[in-house]
Amino acid sequence: MKSHDLVIGLAGSGGDGVITAGQLLVNAAASEGLHSFMLKSFGPQIRGGESSCRVRMSKNQIFSHGDRVQVLGVFNWNDFKRFRGEMHFTNPLVVVQDSADKTPEEKIPVDTELERITYKIPLGELAKEKAGTALAKNMVMMGALCALFDLPIEGMRNGIMKKFKKKSQEVIDSNLAGFNAGFDYVKENIEKIDDLRFEYTPSEAKVVMEGNEAFAYGALYAGCRFFGGYPITPSSEVMEWMSRELPKYGGTMVQAEDELSAIGLIIGASFAGKKSMTSTSGPGLSLMSEQIGLASIAEIPIVILDVQRGGPSTGIPTKTEQSDLNQALYGTHGDANRVVLAPADVADCFDVALEAFHVAEKYQVPVIVLSDQYIGQRKETFEQTALFGNGHANHQVTQRLLPTEEELKDYKRFRDTETGVSPMTYPGVKGGMYQAAGIEHTELGAPSSDVDVHAKMTEKRFRKDKYISKELNFVRFYGPEDAEVGVVAWGSSKGAVKEAVNRLNEEGYSVRAAVPQVLAPFPQEKFEAWLEPLKKVLVVELSYTAQFYKYLKGFLRFGDRELRSYARSGGAPFDVEEIYEQIKQEFA
Amino acid sequence: MAEVAEKVNFKVKDYKSDIAPIWCPGCGDFGVVNAIYRSLAELQLPPEDVAIISGIGCSSRLPGYMATYGFNTVHGRILPIATGVKMANPEITVIGAGGDGDGFSIGMGHIPHAVRRNVDMTYIVMDNEIYGLTKGQLSPTAGRGDITKTSIYGSVERPIQPVKFMLGIGATFVARTYAGNPKHMADVITAGINHKGFAFIDAMSSCRTFKGVDQNTYLRENTYYLEDTDHDPTDKAAALEIANDADGLAAGIIYKEEIPSYDELYANVQEKSQQRGVPELKEVLKRYVP
Repeated sequence: MKSHDLVIGLAGSGGDGVITAGQLLVNAAASEGLHSFMLKSFGPQIRGGESSCRVRMSKNQIFSHGDRVQVLGVFNWNDFKRFRGEMHFTNPLVVVQDSADKTPEEKIPVDTELERITYKIPLGELAKEKAGTALAKNMVMMGALCALFDLPIEGMRNGIMKKFKKKSQEVIDSNLAGFNAGFDYVKENIEKIDDLRFEYTPSEAKVVMEGNEAFAYGALYAGCRFFGGYPITPSSEVMEWMSRELPKYGGTMVQAEDELSAIGLIIGASFAGKKSMTSTSGPGLSLMSEQIGLASIAEIPIVILDVQRGGPSTGIPTKTEQSDLNQALYGTHGDANRVVLAPADVADCFDVALEAFHVAEKYQVPVIVLSDQYIGQRKETFEQTALFGNGHANHQVTQRLLPTEEELKDYKRFRDTETGVSPMTYPGVKGGMYQAAGIEHTELGAPSSDVDVHAKMTEKRFRKDKYISKELNFVRFYGPEDAEVGVVAWGSSKGAVKEAVNRLNEEGYSVRAAVPQVLAPFPQEKFEAWLEPLKKVLVVELSYTAQFYKYLKGFLRFGDRELRSYARSGGAPFDVEEIYEQIKQEFA
Repeated sequence: MAEVAEKVNFKVKDYKSDIAPIWCPGCGDFGVVNAIYRSLAELQLPPEDVAIISGIGCSSRLPGYMATYGFNTVHGRILPIATGVKMANPEITVIGAGGDGDGFSIGMGHIPHAVRRNVDMTYIVMDNEIYGLTKGQLSPTAGRGDITKTSIYGSVERPIQPVKFMLGIGATFVARTYAGNPKHMADVITAGINHKGFAFIDAMSSCRTFKGVDQNTYLRENTYYLEDTDHDPTDKAAALEIANDADGLAAGIIYKEEIPSYDELYANVQEKSQQRGVPELKEVLKRYVP
């Protein structure tokens, strides 16, 4: 069977180089113009332990990780056990395993209902013999996979050379020898009994990025020059990226002592005139809550990236969930305005970073971006032209509104204007001195406990919402306009929803989907126009308590439409099939 | 600061805002704000180049009374916010001003970090050993046995001793001064601002309302001045001895050492990061094309 869309799973112990192998596969696919996805999964050990990854490569554009693994590469069945629950397989399943693994047939931790076609390769032995080290096992595995399934072999060889470029020629040669050994072994010794062959025509190389990298890059491009943060899974890559890149561009990265400090640092830096951001995950956002209110009342632009993980408390730090929505929308005491955005895939992280800084700076508001582990830490390919000047993103790099010479003569930092946005100075600007404050204040910035001042200034701050909504209201719509069944999702759930809707449309089901990128202030008008022809609406999300569903029900005029929520706790992202089945129920 | 050459000649009034302080009559904080005006005028710092960051408490109302840049933030976060200001713009003179509760209770976790980074700023803690704004509860610097609204049978906790604590965690500038002597206080603040690094100033300030006149009397009678002694502020052992002195309150510069400040060291980081060239921002994408 010729395949244009292949999902490969790999599992082993830390030393087996599973992740390196997966990365090489994605890079090889991308270098030959294929679309690819890679998810990583680890055991709880800090180093070593079990690790697994799943790589999907396709000739056509893909939007999710691929529900079912077709080919499973196993270094050691014992290490695979942990991932049993998170990997689903096709029937038949092709297995490539180390022939040194003597796990008896009945102990193999895969559903016995499945027909398994197994190829045994002496991975360790070949690695030692041909590459001179057992460490090259993963290369032997890659060589074998390439030979068995016609994977992009040139891309693999180039990838190996690039990967070890900084090491010695000896290391490159040894890895290549391992790769070739696996390849040759299959060609000479294995009789292929499955009929899976990957077929594609090479095209221009694609970009491979993780969501956390894409966001950091977008932020830097948007002019962010100050980052304060505290390490937390699964967002630390953003901070590491900033630590390396920001100083090159004259920026500053401070590793804070905690998240109370992290948000304080960026509020201070932004007050001092620099575009500033932090990145965190749920527990960190909880600690930052109080000062989100400070940024709101003092009208200080900041961007907070929350790469969500399973909660509450420590929850499942390494796995995805969409359960920080309430905290992003409502976290902090008092009536505090803020903007909440949600990227839907890796490339979108770049766009959303630009939008976040645009709106934070233009409207002097805190912006919370809800990414998640599924987007933040996965690798995904996209066209090289995707990021710049192409697509929906608001690519203007926006600077803060400074007072004019004239305005400086009688400067009021919090002047009540039509849009609610007041020109903002920063330390160093002559004549622009003012006091910023968390305490309620007059237009001049003088503390006030006058009820009228409080009412007026609160309204001024919330007035910005109307203007923000006019320019920031992007919603992704899929499916035919006359459909009577609609699906609503947000953030990373877009991938599975889009694929499911595409599939259903191809099968003749009339269904459409909407995925808002802006969660607050919510693009209500646009959304209600979309609802118009619908008779049934299904809201899907990775939150046990259905936070999104409840949020929408609070203000959207659904009328007498049939409303249903499909909400489950996270850990595993949605599979396409899962959403497909859920939508199909609407047609029953 | 180079523009000072045009001889503007700033006076005390140039640092003073139009807002009248909400402090009670006899409050020590008046002395502190006056000393800050005096010090800034003495240093001839243009008001636009100064940012005063405060937290929450009586003393944290201070930025409102200044005509410089100011930020009256939330409780306990003076140091992170001030560090952000300084690191975003090292040209600015950054002063943190707050109370004993703001610094040594809710904000305590940040102090060792600002100290170990040696952020170039001056942190003035107006210590009156009581929570004044919330009307008279126990402070972390209050003495054992102190009777307050939340320790009506007498406090059983040992107080934080700010000077000793700061010396212990390696602060590069530690001074103490008394609000009843604004001239001395101004001199100490000036020395703090001139110190390239984290300068801690324990500003002994009295609370007339909740501690009565006795507190101020005690401070006045027990304060002695280090310039009247042969104390060498570079001598750490001598500094610790002063901090431990139970018989009197030493005012003046207790300890001082010169090491590079955070922004100076970070400038080296920036330089190092740029050594191998800096690609144009759009070019960074190429790194991700395999």
